[in-house]
Amino acid sequence: MKKMIAADELAKLWIRLAEKSTLFLPVQDGPTVLYQPWKDGAQVELEAFNSAISPKDIFLPREETYLHYHCSGQSLELAAVEDDRAVTAFGIHPCDLKAIEMLDRVFMEQEPADSLYQKRREKTTVVALSCTKPDPFCFCGIFDVDPLDAPGADVMAHLVDGYMHLEARTEKGKALLEEAGDLLENSTIDKIEREIKTTDFGLDIKGLPEDLKSRFDDPAWDELYKSCLSCGVCTYVCPTCYCFDVEDYGHDAEGERFRCWDSCMFGHFTQMAGGHNPRPSRKERVRQRFMHKLQYYPEVYNEIACVGCGRCLRSCPVNLDIVQAIKALGGEKVEHR
Amino acid sequence: MSIANPLMPQMATILDITAETPDVKTLRVSGKDGLPFEFMPGQCAMLSVLPVGEAIFSITSSPTCRDCLEFSIKNVGKVSSYLHSLAPGQQIGIRGPYGNGFPVDQIKGKDLLFIGGGIGLAPLRSLIGYCFANRDDYGQIDIVYGARSPADMIRKSEVKETWAEQPNTNVHLTVDAEFPDWKGHIGFVPNYVTELAFTPANKVAITCGPPIMIKFVLQALDKLGFAPEQVITTLEMRMKCGVGKCGRCNLGSVYVCKDGPVFSLAELNELPGEY
Amino acid sequence: MAERNLEQLEKIREAVSQDLLSGRIELLLGWEKGHYWWQSRPLFASSEGDLARLTWDSFCAVNLSRYLLDELKDHQKVGVLVKGCDSRAFNRLLQDNMVQRDRVILYGLPCPGILDYNLLAAEAGSKLKGITEENGQVILKTEDGEIEVNRDEMLMVKCSECLYPDPVVYDQMLLEPLGQKEVPERFKAVNELEALSSEERFAYWEKELSRCLRCYACRQACPYCSCRECFVEQENPRWQGRAYQPSENFLFHLVRAYHGAGRCIDCGECQRACPVNIPLQELNRKLIKDINELYGDYEAGVDAEKEPPLLTYRPDDPAAFSEK
Ligand SMILES: Cc1cc2nc3c(=O)[nH]c(=O)nc-3n(C[C@H](O)[C@H](O)[C@H](O)COP(=O)(O)OP(=O)(O)OC[C@H]3O[C@@H](n4cnc5c(N)ncnc54)[C@H](O)[C@@H]3O)c2cc1C
Ligand code: SF4
Ligand code: SF4
Ligand code: SF4
Ligand code: SF4
Ligand code: SF4
Ligand code: FES
Repeated sequence: MKKMIAADELAKLWIRLAEKSTLFLPVQDGPTVLYQPWKDGAQVELEAFNSAISPKDIFLPREETYLHYHCSGQSLELAAVEDDRAVTAFGIHPCDLKAIEMLDRVFMEQEPADSLYQKRREKTTVVALSCTKPDPFCFCGIFDVDPLDAPGADVMAHLVDGYMHLEARTEKGKALLEEAGDLLENSTIDKIEREIKTTDFGLDIKGLPEDLKSRFDDPAWDELYKSCLSCGVCTYVCPTCYCFDVEDYGHDAEGERFRCWDSCMFGHFTQMAGGHNPRPSRKERVRQRFMHKLQYYPEVYNEIACVGCGRCLRSCPVNLDIVQAIKALGGEKVEHR
Repeated sequence: MSIANPLMPQMATILDITAETPDVKTLRVSGKDGLPFEFMPGQCAMLSVLPVGEAIFSITSSPTCRDCLEFSIKNVGKVSSYLHSLAPGQQIGIRGPYGNGFPVDQIKGKDLLFIGGGIGLAPLRSLIGYCFANRDDYGQIDIVYGARSPADMIRKSEVKETWAEQPNTNVHLTVDAEFPDWKGHIGFVPNYVTELAFTPANKVAITCGPPIMIKFVLQALDKLGFAPEQVITTLEMRMKCGVGKCGRCNLGSVYVCKDGPVFSLAELNELPGEY
Repeated sequence: MAERNLEQLEKIREAVSQDLLSGRIELLLGWEKGHYWWQSRPLFASSEGDLARLTWDSFCAVNLSRYLLDELKDHQKVGVLVKGCDSRAFNRLLQDNMVQRDRVILYGLPCPGILDYNLLAAEAGSKLKGITEENGQVILKTEDGEIEVNRDEMLMVKCSECLYPDPVVYDQMLLEPLGQKEVPERFKAVNELEALSSEERFAYWEKELSRCLRCYACRQACPYCSCRECFVEQENPRWQGRAYQPSENFLFHLVRAYHGAGRCIDCGECQRACPVNIPLQELNRKLIKDINELYGDYEAGVDAEKEPPLLTYRPDDPAAFSEK
């Protein structure tokens, strides 16, 4: 099913989609663009490259409450908090959707499945949007991401000449287009052609994961970490990072338990009783982050846990990003070395 | 489509609490009807007290004990100190079982050498109990257990009386330094293991204790000729989810909460030495 | 092209390489280029070879003084290139007894202010390929030709109200001082906020802080935030939870701002580090302004001998809180 809508009519589409689901869109919030639930008057920025924080926030929210408790005397009551709302995730770039599929493997394929994540994933219709003008930090090409197509999307959308074209690819996608049926006309294009230039930073990542297996003690780690501030920004903005913490919020009689993002870049992440810390300094933590992306994850899933979205390149306050790391570890084309 | 949330605890009740040492108490905990879940020796559970938090503890009772789970808990922080302060009858949250547990089938027919230090006896006790319950499946059993002082030994009467009485079983106790009334061996666990000169033939050594003790025990076993495949130990990392998602306990390509905490030394040698 | 001036760079390199070779310093903290011309990142140079990568241009934003906390553990003597704000950061660390003066060689670099790439790119409209600078102007080279803009308008927020472009403490000044800077509208944003009603102000901060991830990158980048254990991570008592509740967000930012009262040197590293661009400097500058009004002019980090007003007591200190 292929439909289209004039770009200046999109506000009507947002209103329609927000009626029956929580509609997440890239929205201008102060000086940043973030995926947020659409509200009337929100300034939607479909062509922002890239949102400051990745849309993983939709599936693995920065904070998620999953139980309420009541205590009285010696008794305790626990009640599960279920989130059953339908969600539309609109305007997801191909790199970010690929990253979400990487999280799927951790949260859904690995037993036991994470019900919080899985439910939300199943209740979400993903409308992916092909890229128009990637920024200088986009380097998705080396991770086999096609900026013009996101294979896992329920609906694949393209902005072309003042129109948004929408192609339903799954049952969920069809249902979404039917929902908005009267707002849409039949699409007039078959295929989109657009030249998209992204950089590759001169990287050559072939064989890097296997190569790194024996390089846990490589001298490169002794230099690479030095500028790191242990600030965690890289992991918070990254679409493929998934570490979380669990905490309680409330008082003796009642309250809730939630999980929230955490980061292996923080010193206390692995702090143990008695003072022992298996990753005591920034060196071990920087190594953990990059080894997890470049070696540990690929060892299990045969794929580097980076999609080249460029967020860590844009956001690290000291420009210590995954490209720096890959280069320091020798993943550079010969002619660039 | 109804999958259960693996982070959701179920209700459990504390049956009783016994002080073992100045900072360790043993809790007996039952679910609504008996055991909250089935488990194998070496597996763990997350105990919850709200709004304080959750922490993971080894199940120290043997699966052959059918009416409750037992935990020996050292008071080190928020959850553990709160658990220490509770009274029998208190309801808490529990979820599990987590981890791979000891390879009870793989070690069948072998002589077993248990080496424990301090609170590290907790997971070993579950396996020891299991082996006694299935006594014919295992060969000779040697148990080396040490603590800083006699007062820091957990399950003292059980170790000295019940275990030492079992057929084909030897118990070797040691404390770090001299204490009045202590007539047993004095010295660190790894040295004692060396002195006792265990032979590796048809034997599997299973060790658990503080990281520093484990380090030297592994060296001692190596000197005695134990191959890495003959040595089993447990790792301790910080844990939050227990189900291989939250990333806390990540070590190389494994998650200790799920793929461990029990590893053979041969397996450990394949992992980054970050524990 | 982004190199401010090769002559300046050569001068700097010469001075520091002499010291590195002679052993006067074991390590130099400087900057090198990142992936693009608008990125300059920290350089940890311990050899002549490393120094070949040294850069000094309009993008050397990162405050290097903070790295001393760790590098002085591994090195007896460390050299640091300091801009005006970096030198004040050094004084801040000195006043907190976090560094030893005699183990650090400070090389002073008067700084005309760091350019904000986002402003440049927005001004350029089409693709920005590079810049040159001349007489207080920046010339943007775009795919569609050149555009000239006023340099002062392209500065990072952190540099917009800078009073001390020249280092205030140094062992060696490597370049010609620029002299104290005029800031025509200091505290402009603060004044605007003060003009709002308290409800409006609350709404403003509630909205801005709602983006906060509480990653604490602002703290990690900050030279006054050098506490070995920060209140946010203290377990007993647990002051700060992890929940993204407005109250928790306010708690963090207000407590941090008050910890910085009279200690914040207005270097803007916090705001620069923040991944969601929370205008932290407005909060910090409000406290700077209040302190100046209540206790007389005090610019943190300018004079290491002069204690912050809130760390000293004078009988005639105003008791603004109890009077209200
Ligand atoms: C597989 C496994 C089995 C365990 N079995 C037992 C057991 O049988 N008996 C027992 O007493 N303890 C056991 N522990 C250790 C126990 O989980 C921690 O001591 C406990 O989580 C501390 O919780 P708390 O809330 O009391 O401490 P907190 O207040 O959370 O922390 C106090 C200190 O302990 C550190 N810490 C937090 N989690 C851990 C952890 N998992 N390991 C070490 N230090 C930690 C914190 O960083 C802090 O420094 C086990 C740990 C693991 C990983
Ligand atoms: S790599 Fe950069 S973003 Fe990540 S923790 Fe270090 S300084 Fe922060
Ligand atoms: S590592 Fe960096 S570039 Fe790769 S997915 Fe994460 S944020 Fe994007
Ligand atoms: S371990 Fe680090 S790099 Fe890996 S997912 Fe967790 S936060 Fe990201
Ligand atoms: S850096 Fe920004 S997002 Fe992170 S804690 Fe500070 S203000 Fe919040
Ligand atoms: S609070 Fe911000 S401006 Fe003030 S010293 Fe710290 S980093 Fe610099
Ligand atoms: S405790 Fe969460 S992954 Fe192991």
